[in-house]
Amino acid sequence: MANIAVFIEQRDGAFKKVAWQMISQARKLADASGGEVWGVLLGGDPAAAAALAGKHGAHRLFAAGDQLERYDSERYGTALAAFCRTQKPDLVLIGATALGRDLGPTAAAKLGCACISDAIALKFEGGAWEVRRPIYAGKCFVDVVPKTAPAIVGIRPNAFVAQDGGGAAAAVTAFDAGQAQVTPRAIVREIVGSDGGRVELTEADIVVSGGRGIKGPENYVLIEELAAALNAAAGASRAVVDAGWVDYSHQVGQTGKTVGPNLYIACGISGAIQHLAGMSSSKCIVAINKDPAAPIFKVADFGVVGDLFEVLPALTKAVKEIRG
Amino acid sequence: MKIAVCVKQVPDSETRINLAAPAAKLDQTGFTRVLNPYDAYAVEEAVRIKEARGGEITAITVGPETVKETLKKDCLAVGCDKAIIINDPALAGADEAAIAEVLAAALKQGGYDLILFGIKAIDDDSGQIGILVAEKLGLPHVATITKLELGEGTLTAHREIEGGKEIVDCPLPAVLTCQKGLNEPRLPSLPNIMKAGMKPMQVVTCADLGLTPPASLVEIRQYSPPPARGTCRLVTGDDAAAAARELARVLNEEAKVI
Ligand SMILES: Cc1cc2nc3c(=O)[nH]c(=O)nc-3n(C[C@H](O)[C@H](O)[C@H](O)COP(=O)(O)OP(=O)(O)OC[C@H]3O[C@@H](n4cnc5c(N)ncnc54)[C@H](O)[C@@H]3O)c2cc1C
Repeated sequence: MANIAVFIEQRDGAFKKVAWQMISQARKLADASGGEVWGVLLGGDPAAAAALAGKHGAHRLFAAGDQLERYDSERYGTALAAFCRTQKPDLVLIGATALGRDLGPTAAAKLGCACISDAIALKFEGGAWEVRRPIYAGKCFVDVVPKTAPAIVGIRPNAFVAQDGGGAAAAVTAFDAGQAQVTPRAIVREIVGSDGGRVELTEADIVVSGGRGIKGPENYVLIEELAAALNAAAGASRAVVDAGWVDYSHQVGQTGKTVGPNLYIACGISGAIQHLAGMSSSKCIVAINKDPAAPIFKVADFGVVGDLFEVLPALTKAVKEIRG
Repeated sequence: MKIAVCVKQVPDSETRINLAAPAAKLDQTGFTRVLNPYDAYAVEEAVRIKEARGGEITAITVGPETVKETLKKDCLAVGCDKAIIINDPALAGADEAAIAEVLAAALKQGGYDLILFGIKAIDDDSGQIGILVAEKLGLPHVATITKLELGEGTLTAHREIEGGKEIVDCPLPAVLTCQKGLNEPRLPSLPNIMKAGMKPMQVVTCADLGLTPPASLVEIRQYSPPPARGTCRLVTGDDAAAAARELARVLNEEAKVI
């Protein structure tokens, strides 16, 4: 029997939707392998998490709140390790978010178990978990098999689809997260938001990105307007970031963010391999570029060969009409 | 202040990966190798700290002897004082846990106040090593930093999170992983590359570190090419505006993505 634990990330009480994507996928795997799906919540509201976790397919929710309201790697790492030692899940799934990428290896080192980062697919094959992840900037996929139980696996946001199975709220069990033994040294003094209300790149359903083709910082507004009309996140190529037109937190690519939205719209971006590294797992890719030979068209599903200064305003207007 | 910077030599990002059939091994002959771009931020930050308060910087890597050129040009020539290469055939194909174990053993011998890493290597893209090493050494870590201020025996770092940043206070010694935005790495000058040849570079094995080569916790089953994407459908119209309207219609009605 293989029990899969899914880490439910919350910040200020808001849950990351990657948790429901992972629970939905874990439920399929658990049904096939004869196990249960458990949510693991640190801090936050157990009742709210249990309702959503149950709806997406979790059987149980393990919750610990003591001193865990705000993330720090020492407290959270100790808590997740304590959970694994007592409940012995076979597999632990954590969203490959800023928090998850920190927590996964921290807990794995405490447990001496395998940790695999940023997976896009997961199966149970030949009696073992097989984890697929892109390497070399997405130019290659590798299938990795962990040799320990538990194994911790980071899952790229949007790799799986959240499915509302309509299940009842998961039964909540409180657990001792071992906080009595930790005095954290690295303390988060303050959290500062850089861009209030902005849709976050790594978890957006739609991303609109601008490249050097936008010509100057004043024209990035064309990207932002289309993004706003689509309720999308706004990204950029490195050329735009290095020119100082937007903050580096917008950069998509090998040395920027990895995104996997349903729709990625690349505007005035040539499609360099390092840019593709960050967005080639997008489900639908649209390229808007005046050069028909631009490499971006090789990965795009739909393309418009044209001047973005003419195409974008018209596209924004059309989208607004469609979306009311 | 004693600073260690852990670096990796990686295939440059233009490298072509040829995988005709599913393979359990990757043919790496012919790869051009460079310093991992994220590690350049770690090296630069170490050099800036040394310039501001003095100290000594040791660059440490696990890899074959071919890493010497990269260490010389991108670490020693820009301000690191010495380099340690852990070269052991038993580590070929080692996973993150094993590499972290080896690095931790080497770092333990140095008594460093600050240990810097890049957030991830651009070849295997895993982003775990710095954090694993911190845990193995029992040190606090701050990952994905974009700003660093050092106090007396403490540091304050800005760490990138979704839509914002965390401001973290941490005592030394500590482990940090460096992200774009932290600084602008300098380029080595030719005279400095020449001079770097005189700086000490030590090659050690696991046995020299008093270590049996650690076992990997994962196994690679196979490498495969990413799935091919379909051909691009060009959407057209009488003019750019008409093409844009048609694109919106196709995305809405056919692809159903908006
Ligand atoms: C180690 C390393 C890491 C890197 N990491 C990244 C990364 O993370 N992300 C990243 O993006 N890049 C990265 N790069 C840089 C990458 O190689 C490219 O230089 C960069 O992606 C180019 O950005 P661009 O497509 O915006 O610009 P360009 O390549 O200059 O392309 C601009 C495009 O705009 C089109 N255009 C111009 N005017 C118009 C117009 N009016 N209407 C429509 N189209 C127009 C042009 O036809 C062209 O195709 C990295 C490079 C290295 C070496």
